[in-house]
Amino acid sequence: MKVLLVTYVDPWVRSVSTVHKWVAAGRALGHDVAVYGEPKADLPNLKFTTDLTGVDIALFVIQVVSDFPEMPHLVRVLDGITREKRVLVDLWAHYNDTVRLEHDFNHLEKLDNHQGWEWEEAIAAVSDTIVQPTLNPLRPNVGSFLFHGFAPEAVVNPYASAAEAAAAWREATPAAKPYGVVYVGNNWQRWEQMRRFLEQYAPVREEVGKAALVGWDWAERPEWAIKQGIAGIDTDPAMLARFGIELRQAVRFDEVKGLMGKGRFSPVFHRPLFRHLGYATIRTFETFEADTLPMLMLPRDYVEATYGAGALALVPGDDVGAFMKDALRRPEPYWQAVLDTRAHLARHHSFAQRFRELAALLRAGPGPSGGRG
Amino acid sequence: MNILIVNEYAANAGNTHAITNYMRVGAELGHNIAIYGPPQPDVVDGWYLPPEMQHARFSTDLKAFDRIVFFFESKLRHVKRLPEVAMLGTFPRKHRYILDADGRFNPYIVVDGYDRSHKDEAEQALWRGYYEALADKIIKPTIARDKDPRVTTLPFYGFDPSEVIKPEHVPPKKYDILHVGHNWYRWKDMSEEILPALEQIRGEIAGDIGFLGLWWDGVPEWAHAMGLEPAYRVDTERFRKLRIKVEPPVNYTEVVHAMSTGRINIFTQRPYLAHVKHLTLRYFEEFCADTIPLLMLSNDLAEAVYGPAGRELTLPGRAAEKILDALRRPDYYRGLVEDVRKYMLANHSFRHRVEELVTALSD
Repeated sequence: MKVLLVTYVDPWVRSVSTVHKWVAAGRALGHDVAVYGEPKADLPNLKFTTDLTGVDIALFVIQVVSDFPEMPHLVRVLDGITREKRVLVDLWAHYNDTVRLEHDFNHLEKLDNHQGWEWEEAIAAVSDTIVQPTLNPLRPNVGSFLFHGFAPEAVVNPYASAAEAAAAWREATPAAKPYGVVYVGNNWQRWEQMRRFLEQYAPVREEVGKAALVGWDWAERPEWAIKQGIAGIDTDPAMLARFGIELRQAVRFDEVKGLMGKGRFSPVFHRPLFRHLGYATIRTFETFEADTLPMLMLPRDYVEATYGAGALALVPGDDVGAFMKDALRRPEPYWQAVLDTRAHLARHHSFAQRFRELAALLRAGPGPSGGRG
Repeated sequence: MNILIVNEYAANAGNTHAITNYMRVGAELGHNIAIYGPPQPDVVDGWYLPPEMQHARFSTDLKAFDRIVFFFESKLRHVKRLPEVAMLGTFPRKHRYILDADGRFNPYIVVDGYDRSHKDEAEQALWRGYYEALADKIIKPTIARDKDPRVTTLPFYGFDPSEVIKPEHVPPKKYDILHVGHNWYRWKDMSEEILPALEQIRGEIAGDIGFLGLWWDGVPEWAHAMGLEPAYRVDTERFRKLRIKVEPPVNYTEVVHAMSTGRINIFTQRPYLAHVKHLTLRYFEEFCADTIPLLMLSNDLAEAVYGPAGRELTLPGRAAEKILDALRRPDYYRGLVEDVRKYMLANHSFRHRVEELVTALSD
C-alpha cells in the first residue's frame, strides 16, 4: 500500500513521533509511506515526496491549520488524489460542535484565526471519510481511528519479566534515574491536572525523588497568552519552587523517551478536551515505550478500553503519593501491569494493526466504518 | 450561473466596485454573483460607501455556487487556509478560474527600461506555477488576443452610465490640467512627453495644473532601499518651475468628482500594463467625470477601447498641441467625449461584461 501522510511535521511539536513510526512501520511491513512535501534536513529519517502517482491512500493528519499544505501544494494534492482515496484524521477534534471544557476548547478564532464552521467545512471538503482518535466519536458520520500507536520494537528496555524490570528500576543509579518523576510535555491545557498531581506528590517527594517538568511554558504564563486572554496555560511558579520542581526546556521528539526514562515515574495526562472525548494522543502509547513506570492520570473506563484491564493497576486514582510509595515498596506488581499493558498494546495498538485499520477504512469507503481501534 | 468571486475585498478598491456592478447586472440577467466572505460594513474608515457598494453580496455558502473565480492582484496568498481548503475541495478544477487582475500571467518582461511585469524571473515563475496549479483557465482583463489556449481575454471592467457625474454635482473647475493618480512608474511618460509639452505651452495656460496623488512631491525615503526608486522617480524642480500644484490623493469614492475639477484630465497608465493592453477601471472612470480626458495611449489602443473618437484624444507625439487645442475648443472635445460614452455604452456596458464572463465560465 502506498500511503501519503499529509501534515506538517516539526521535530518539536505535535505528531512528529507518530509520523516517524508510520514511516518506519510501513517500511518494515512492505508499505510505502511518505510525508507529502520536500525533505526536511532536521528530520532525516522521514521520507518525503511530492510524487502523487500510485498513491493508494492520502491520510490527512490534521491538528492545526498549517497541517493543510500551503498553496500550491494544497491544490496539487487535492487535484492529484481523488476524494475516495483521501482519509482525514481529525486529531484535535475540530470536526465537532464547539466544545468548551474548563479552559480547553476545540475552536478558538483568536488563537488560529478561524471559526468552528471554517474547520468543519474544510474538513468535510477534503474527504467523506473523517475519523477521530477515539473509540467513541460524537458524530455518526465520523469513524474511529486512533492513528497513534505502540511500537514494541521501540520499547527502550523490553524486560522479559516483571522481576527483572522491578529490579532494574529499583536499583537504577542516580545517574541513570536522577528524577523521581519526569513529565515531558508542554504546558497546554494541563495545569489543573498537573497542579493536583504535584500537590499529592509533594508530601512524598523526599522518598520518590525530584520531579522535572520538561516543555514550554511551565515557568511562567506566556506573554502571548496573557495578551490574548487565553487561559489553560496557567502555572504557579511559587508552588513549583516550593516543591523543588525542576523546569527544563522542551526537547525534540527523539529525546522524549530517553528523558522520561530518567525518572522512575511518568504521568500520562490528557488535556480536558481529549479526556472528555476519549482521545488517544502520542503520549498515550509512547509512555509505555520508555523505561519508566507510567502513571495513568486518566478515567478508569478509558484506561480499560484502551490499555486493557491490566493497566488499571497503573491508575493512581486520588492518591498519587500512596501510589508512588507503594510502587517503591513493591514494584513488581506494577511492572507486571506495565508488561501486561505493553503486551496488550502490541496486540491491539501496533502500527501493523493501524495499517490494517487504514486499509479497512479505504475498503469501506465514507462514513463510520472499519478501523475501530 | 452561480459565480463566487474570491478577491482581496476592499470597499474602496476598483476591483470590488466593478464586481458589485456584476452582481447588480448579473441579478437582472438571472445570475447569482457574490464575493466570498461574511457581509461587510457599509462604512469603511469613516467613509460611507456609495449605494452600489452597500448592496454588495457576500456568501460563505460554497455549495450555493457552481463556479469560483479567484482574483489575483498584488498578492498571491490572500485567502485564509481553511476556506482555501474548503474551496479547493468543493470546486473541481474544471470549475475554477483565475482572473489575472494585475497582469501577472505573462512572461517576465521589462518595458521602457524600468517597468517590469514581475520583480524578477523567479517571481514570475512563482506566480506562473501557482496559477497553473490552481486552475486551467485564466481570464485576462485585456482586449489583446492571447495565444495561450488557457487564456480568455475580456475587458472585465465596464462603463456604467449612472456613474457619470450629474450636472448638479459638477464642482467648479479649479484646474486647467489635472492628473489624478499616484506616481507609480509614470516618470517616463512624464519626463519625455507630458512635462516637455507643458514646458512648451505653460505661458499659454492661464489656469492651474494639478497632480492629485501620492509621491509627486518626492521619492519616498524607503524606495531607494527597496530598489524602487525608478517607480517613484520625480523631478520636483521641474514641477516647481511649471507651477504644478501637488495635492494629496482623493478617496476612491471621490475620484470622479475630483477629476471633474479639471478642464482636462491626463490619463496615464504604467508602461507594463499599457504594453500588455491591460485595461483598468480608470479607462472607464475617466469618462464618467465632467472633463476632457486626454490619453497617454497609442491611437490603436484608444480606438480599440473607445471607438474612433478615442483616436482624437491621444497625446503621444502631440501632447502640447492636443492640450492647447482641447483648452481652446472644449465644445468639440466634449462632443468627442460624448461619442466615446455612446461607444462604451454600446460595447462596454456591464450587461456586456456579465454576458462575456458567463460565456467564459461556461463549459
